[in-house]
Amino acid sequence: MSRWLPVLFALLAGLARAVGIVVVTWFLCRVMPGDVVDVLGLEGGLSEAQQADLRVSLGYDRPIVVQFFDWAQHALAGDFGRSVRFDRPVADMLASAAPVTIELALGSFVVGVALALGLAIAATSMKSRLLEAAVDGLNIWSIAVPTFCAGVLGIIVFSLWLGWLPVIGSLILPIIIIGLDNAGQIVKLVREDLAEAVMLPHVRTARAKGLSPWRIAVVHVLPVAAPIVLVLSGLVLSGLVAGTLTMEILFGLPGIGSLMLNAVHGRDLPVVLAAVTVVAVALVAINTLVDALHRLIDPRVNR
Amino acid sequence: MLRSSSSLTRRHLLASAAGLGLVSLAGRVASAAPEPKGGVLRYATLGLDTSDPHRHTGSIAVQQAYVEALTSIAADGSVEPFLAESFDVSPDGRTYRFKLRQGVTFHNGDPLTAADVVANIERVKSKVKGGWLASAMKLVDGASAEGSGIVTLTLSKPYAPLLNLFSELWILSPKSEGWTETIKTPIGTGPFTFGTWVPKVKLTAPAFRSYWRAGQPIVDAVEFDLSDGTDKSLALRAGDLHIANIQRDTVEALVASGKVDIKTLKDTAWFSIAFNNRKPRPPFDDPRVRSAIALAVDKAAVMKFVGGDKGVVTNQLVAPGNVYFDKALHDADPFAKPDLAKARALLADAGVKPEDHTIEFVSWVEPYPQIVVQMVRKLGFKVNHVALDDIGAQKRLGQYDWDMNAMSSGPRADVFLRWVRLMSDGPNPVLWGGIQDAELDRTITSAVEQPDLARRKAIYLDATRRVAEKVYFVVIGHAPDLIAVARTVRGYEPGFTWACHWASGGVARTALISA
Repeated sequence: MSRWLPVLFALLAGLARAVGIVVVTWFLCRVMPGDVVDVLGLEGGLSEAQQADLRVSLGYDRPIVVQFFDWAQHALAGDFGRSVRFDRPVADMLASAAPVTIELALGSFVVGVALALGLAIAATSMKSRLLEAAVDGLNIWSIAVPTFCAGVLGIIVFSLWLGWLPVIGSLILPIIIIGLDNAGQIVKLVREDLAEAVMLPHVRTARAKGLSPWRIAVVHVLPVAAPIVLVLSGLVLSGLVAGTLTMEILFGLPGIGSLMLNAVHGRDLPVVLAAVTVVAVALVAINTLVDALHRLIDPRVNR
Repeated sequence: MLRSSSSLTRRHLLASAAGLGLVSLAGRVASAAPEPKGGVLRYATLGLDTSDPHRHTGSIAVQQAYVEALTSIAADGSVEPFLAESFDVSPDGRTYRFKLRQGVTFHNGDPLTAADVVANIERVKSKVKGGWLASAMKLVDGASAEGSGIVTLTLSKPYAPLLNLFSELWILSPKSEGWTETIKTPIGTGPFTFGTWVPKVKLTAPAFRSYWRAGQPIVDAVEFDLSDGTDKSLALRAGDLHIANIQRDTVEALVASGKVDIKTLKDTAWFSIAFNNRKPRPPFDDPRVRSAIALAVDKAAVMKFVGGDKGVVTNQLVAPGNVYFDKALHDADPFAKPDLAKARALLADAGVKPEDHTIEFVSWVEPYPQIVVQMVRKLGFKVNHVALDDIGAQKRLGQYDWDMNAMSSGPRADVFLRWVRLMSDGPNPVLWGGIQDAELDRTITSAVEQPDLARRKAIYLDATRRVAEKVYFVVIGHAPDLIAVARTVRGYEPGFTWACHWASGGVARTALISA
């Protein structure tokens, strides 16, 4: 039990953070200039009297704290309400958007981790200058080239010039772009961790026994580097929240990021809060899972 | 030799003439050939806010694909019959009689009847709270069906914009899901059906093969791109979109691509500077100061920036060519050209030292207000320019703690929808400073109640003069919105408003050819 107590604490701390995020988002949304009635008034030609009536019918005339607890009570029961702007259940809108974001996030995560691991292992095993340069190049790419710029460049090259991929709705290009970015963020650290692992006595023994470089890397070096890879993967997954948002907008993908941004623009508070809650809880779940796995594969953490 | 040559020449001429005739005939045959059918038309336009067409909140560009109205607005801005085959208005402007088109069916196969039309009118009157259509419906004393083909509408008082506004009163089957509250799946009579809608993403509208116009629609479906963030110009160039509204700064690249033609909506957006009329603070409540500021604005330069060669300078709510446009008033525009010397004289007359005053200036995040600000600064005023997003600006303007703004407003189905914003209890009046003027209200109301077009125009001109006299706002000019149409599209020409389908044009008549 004592081994998992820190995980439980981490989970509770994460949940507290998630609640904090939702509360702060709620109040930020309320201090933003304008509300959904302004949006409807701007677009639909509502008179000032009609706008006032609509605010009352939406309960916006009540104290802000009362509004928050009313929303929280329903949210805890799993009822995120209806979009004020589109008069649709928020849960339906989230259910429609989530698969796109999950596909994009998981796809780019797999591409990123696979590329980083593959390159780091190859560079460690083969001691090639070219591969070392590739590691550095990928790292510099992720630092220097914003995904938005890479996305525009990708559209120009692969959609306009080559005509291979559509501009709108394609998952391939954004997955590759975020994947490259993810890989660049972790490849250098993984490479350095592997380089240290190579110097360990059991690896030297394996080399002395004449095992192939790939076998040494995969069987003897990688398990040593697994904890750092896991921690870095957790960071990458957390960072995907921002990364997918940009790509969803650029490539017209109807994911949670697009949903959230449009809801912010339209001051559609129930949708913003529901999306933020889902993302915050997902982040807590990822961090907790990574923490638990880390403890499982690296007993040193529990000491 | 000469004769022979001459004879040959005649023969050649005859042969050539015959050849030209054949070519011409071939051309005619080719042009008479049916347009290629099928394909999915990808069309990026303004958003769709609701699946209930009667409860729309502004963006009216998509609904027309699946729901139609008794009337529609032709490309020249006139009213044309649509689901109504014809209509009559009584001389007193209070009774409207619509004869319905025969053979029209809803998407569920039910025939359109007069009772359905009356049910729609009653629904808007009783269920819809906001919007100008609901306001108009309050004037309806009675709507009745005569048999299955005649609808008679009696108003409590004349209301001239009714036929134009009826182009946005969509007729749905009362069997539409959610009819008693919010319609979820609209069943209309349009050339396309309401397919799959993902808000702010897309609407897929499959063709309705029993559409009342034979041979239409031509394409298999329309996929409306409703997203905000994607770069439409890149998608057009890549062939992912066929029709899209575009920004002026993308025109050059699009034209250079050779893949699209740039067209314009036939009605214009109008650009203005307005003053705070609800809670004006000195010295900006003084018409002389307002006039001085207006004289600092180089209208031609602003409209050139905003609309390029399509920007038009004027002082009216409608552009030249519109039936309500008045040339004499246009020619008498005192602010047609900037005059800083006259502006300074006006300020001196008002006893105002501009350097002592800061103008609180509100606009959207657009480039052209910055130009206006620079022009106003030439007079010596300090300007605190706050540029906000749509909703932020809306909120700030509603607080009436500012002095001046630079705004624009887009095409409308009737000129009244521009004037109504200037009325004391009008919808969304903040863009024009929240005018509170009983005299102006009366003038606009009497224009609305005037059935005769010439007299109505004269009354609207009186309203224009009233606005000018008080300097509530100053119209800078007009510019049309731009629509890019791929060269693989046939039969599409933008209409008067943002509508994607109307009686004499739109997506029902649009075909796709292979690139």
